[in-house]
Amino acid sequence: MKSRLSLIALFASLCAPLAFAQGFKPSRTVDLVVHTGPGGGSDVLARAIAVMVEKEKLLPVRLQVINKPGGNAAVAAAHLAEKRGDPNTLGLFTGVWLQTPLVSSEAKITLRDLTPIARLVLEPAVIAVKADSRYKTLAEFIEAAKKNPGQLKQSGGSNTSRDNVVRQLLQKSTGARWAFISFPGGGERIAALLGGHVDIMVIEPEEAGEHIRAGNMRVLAQVSEKRLAKFPEVPTLKEAGFDVPVVPQVRGVVAPPGIPKENVEFWQDFFRRLTRTPSWQKYIEDNQFEDGYQNAADLANFYDEFTDRMREILKDAGVKTVR
Amino acid sequence: MEILAGLLNGFAVALEPANLFWCFVGVLLGTVVGILPGLGPPATIAMLLPLTFNMNPAGAIIMLAGIYYGAKYGGSTTSILMNVPGESASVVTCLDGYQMARKGRAGPALGIAAIASFVAGTVGVLGLMLVAPPIAKFALSFSSPEYFALMSLGLALVVLLAGRSIVKALLAALVGLWIASVGTDLFSGTSRFTFGQMELLSGIDFVVVAIGVFALAEVFVNLEVREETQLLPVPKGLKNLLPTMQDLKDCRFAFVNGSVIGFLVGALPGGGSTIASFLSYGLEKAVSPRREQFGTGVIEGVAAPEGANNSETGGALVPLLTLGIPGSGTTAILLAALVLWGFKPGPLFIPEHPALFWGLVASMYIGNVMLLILNLPLVPLFAQVLRMPVYVLYPLILGVSMVGVYSVSGSLFDLLLLMVFGLLGYLMRKLDYPSAPLILGLALGAGMERALRQSLMMSEGKLSILVSRPISAVMLSFAVLVLLIPMFGKLNAWRLRALEQG
Amino acid sequence: MEDETRKSGDLWSGVALAALGLYIVFQARQWEYLGPEGPGAGFFPIWYGIAMLALSMLLIVSQLRRRYARGNAIDWTRLGRAFSTWFALAVSVALFKPLGFVVSFALLTYFIVAVMYRRPLATAALVAVASAAGFYLVFDLALSVPLPVGVLGF
Repeated sequence: MKSRLSLIALFASLCAPLAFAQGFKPSRTVDLVVHTGPGGGSDVLARAIAVMVEKEKLLPVRLQVINKPGGNAAVAAAHLAEKRGDPNTLGLFTGVWLQTPLVSSEAKITLRDLTPIARLVLEPAVIAVKADSRYKTLAEFIEAAKKNPGQLKQSGGSNTSRDNVVRQLLQKSTGARWAFISFPGGGERIAALLGGHVDIMVIEPEEAGEHIRAGNMRVLAQVSEKRLAKFPEVPTLKEAGFDVPVVPQVRGVVAPPGIPKENVEFWQDFFRRLTRTPSWQKYIEDNQFEDGYQNAADLANFYDEFTDRMREILKDAGVKTVR
Repeated sequence: MEILAGLLNGFAVALEPANLFWCFVGVLLGTVVGILPGLGPPATIAMLLPLTFNMNPAGAIIMLAGIYYGAKYGGSTTSILMNVPGESASVVTCLDGYQMARKGRAGPALGIAAIASFVAGTVGVLGLMLVAPPIAKFALSFSSPEYFALMSLGLALVVLLAGRSIVKALLAALVGLWIASVGTDLFSGTSRFTFGQMELLSGIDFVVVAIGVFALAEVFVNLEVREETQLLPVPKGLKNLLPTMQDLKDCRFAFVNGSVIGFLVGALPGGGSTIASFLSYGLEKAVSPRREQFGTGVIEGVAAPEGANNSETGGALVPLLTLGIPGSGTTAILLAALVLWGFKPGPLFIPEHPALFWGLVASMYIGNVMLLILNLPLVPLFAQVLRMPVYVLYPLILGVSMVGVYSVSGSLFDLLLLMVFGLLGYLMRKLDYPSAPLILGLALGAGMERALRQSLMMSEGKLSILVSRPISAVMLSFAVLVLLIPMFGKLNAWRLRALEQG
Repeated sequence: MEDETRKSGDLWSGVALAALGLYIVFQARQWEYLGPEGPGAGFFPIWYGIAMLALSMLLIVSQLRRRYARGNAIDWTRLGRAFSTWFALAVSVALFKPLGFVVSFALLTYFIVAVMYRRPLATAALVAVASAAGFYLVFDLALSVPLPVGVLGF
């Protein structure tokens, strides 16, 4: 009698989480909010995700992309915050979402104010020079920079972008100094390098691919934990002798604040399943991303680590942080 | 010659019935998208991308490219008829185009816009075909000091846009520079003039200001009186609905001007159709025998910028297809599209995918012809829009303006900005401040500041970099010369007066 | 008086722009002018702020010295009509959130046709409904460009 009761109890307790997990299903079209306009990096990824969801039939409803550009991701973040409690809205965040609140007091919503769901990818980078540059290794460049402080130049994005973060970390650890010139568009940065107006740049491996193949660019080192498949002969920063942390460029998913735990778990599992599908694997491979899946709890920890480290780096760079 | 061989192969590809069909779809869609303010090629192409996965790549790129350059044809329509710039490239067309419409010459304005677009668009494709590699190399030698010089030249053209009061024109341009500074500074991350509003962190959209200052202000000015009769006369007769032979003669130089400047500026990685159209307009005004009349409805003032923004598409494809470097927003999406289909634009693109490249080039010739045939007959139709009673037309303009602004960002805040700039534009009209310099300052301001700071970073603080490099030195000298033109005029008048009195 | 009104137009705008120039310069001084890595955020604004101040001073001075009129007196009726239109537009934008674009735009059009142009109310209503419906059909349905939606659902 007792054993049968306990068996029933055991059975019931096993079913309960299952029932919970199946309790939530999206009831309408799911909105995936991105902070760029159509064609921007996040928009392209979001649309690719939407296509994958259709193809692999991962959801009973459609996933649609909502563009909320403006404010350096502050508008998108605020939009999500407004959708408090809505289980059918998600946001695709990138590093900008994490950095903008650090430096702009107008951007009031941080990732902590939203509900972290999952981290999806890490984007590595490579350090490239023009093919006919005299620097054959990163060490040579650093040496030259030490001898001529402030005279060598790097093209990159804004001063809070990953390009500058890599530069700040290298400068701090080696004592060398070189100039950083911001260009708003990737095309202009590459043009500056290929035209010989700057000496070095940090660039995504996919972007560099064709230029390397055509013999216009050369890669000195890669900014990643281990060597990328397409760059087997290029040393990582650590292997090249520079012991700097690899601050990654991340993309992940957040949800509006105030959504119940079962929704978080549903979405977390959904994205885990997404990252296991063959179309996702192919996408990652084609774009030379690294699978950086983390569930909600790990993402929250990662966020704290990341922002702490960014604050330090920005302080060293002389940028005022407001949060 | 291998170019000829390539082109013939390209026509073979482009003339396949399926690809012809996609070309037509693309240019038709492009024209519609161009006519509607706000909605632009980048958004349309992004939305259509998933549908292109199942198409053959040649047809897909032909269609998407068709949308890109087709939109440039349609963009002039609302600029001319309503003073509502369809997109940033069409802002300059408003200056003389709308004035022509007010004088009853909407038809010729629309017609010359189509013809200039055709001529310049074709020249742009010719350029892409014949001189792409050397132009690409030249474009690489262009960097921040040269951009600064180019933009200074553009800004110096303010002087030519001045009208009666140079002081007011300069003040308007300075206000434009100020508006351009609103937002996060790229280099230091400092927020400038954001008044605590997060939406302003990414700056104020150019189109919002342009629509406010041009279209809304125009409506407010017109609503000051309750006219019983139509304000916008539309003469009857086909003769008055298309450009005359005299018009075409007047635009001879404008066709060349627009084609060349548009193509060259488009090929620069940081250039764009807005700068191209302003420069082309300024040059046209500088050399035209009736330069004082610019701004009151001079036909070459429509032909030059419209041509420029079309040949700019051919130019923008040069760095994209020969180097894999995207310039503006639309070429960035085209790049993403090509990558998505497995082609990677770069220096090896043309040698490895000749059929795709030449097919695209050939389709652009065909597309331009299609667009001319599509757009010219529509001219009389569109001109009829102006026969609407004013009490229908002006609310329509207000609605189109609001939808145009909202469709770009989906933000009510932008509508608020539209209201503010509408009021500003109205006040400027009443107080006799010309609005073109403000728009010019706004268009060039951000780029100029960036280029200057980049240049100084490159030279470690030495301003001499601007004159030690030949190209920038030449352009800066032109800028100085342009600034001195009114000085010559005044000196001459002063001298003549002195002679009379003496 | 004719003199005064024209003078005051340019005078006041000169003063306003001088104030703006001053504001810009003050703000720009809080930012870095010339940093170790190049010109800072304050560099450009200081210069165009100063230019604005200088030119507007020029304008003010030239107005104060002028002895003859150069324009028309202020026509308050015309200004009133223009500002009413602007105000109506502002109200209709404010109504977007609760009422949505279609309804607000219809109201705006009705106001313009009936009040500003004094057309018969039936005409006003017809134009308002037709235009609003036209926008809805073309944008929402045909092109699926989202227009602001209010509590009524469209």
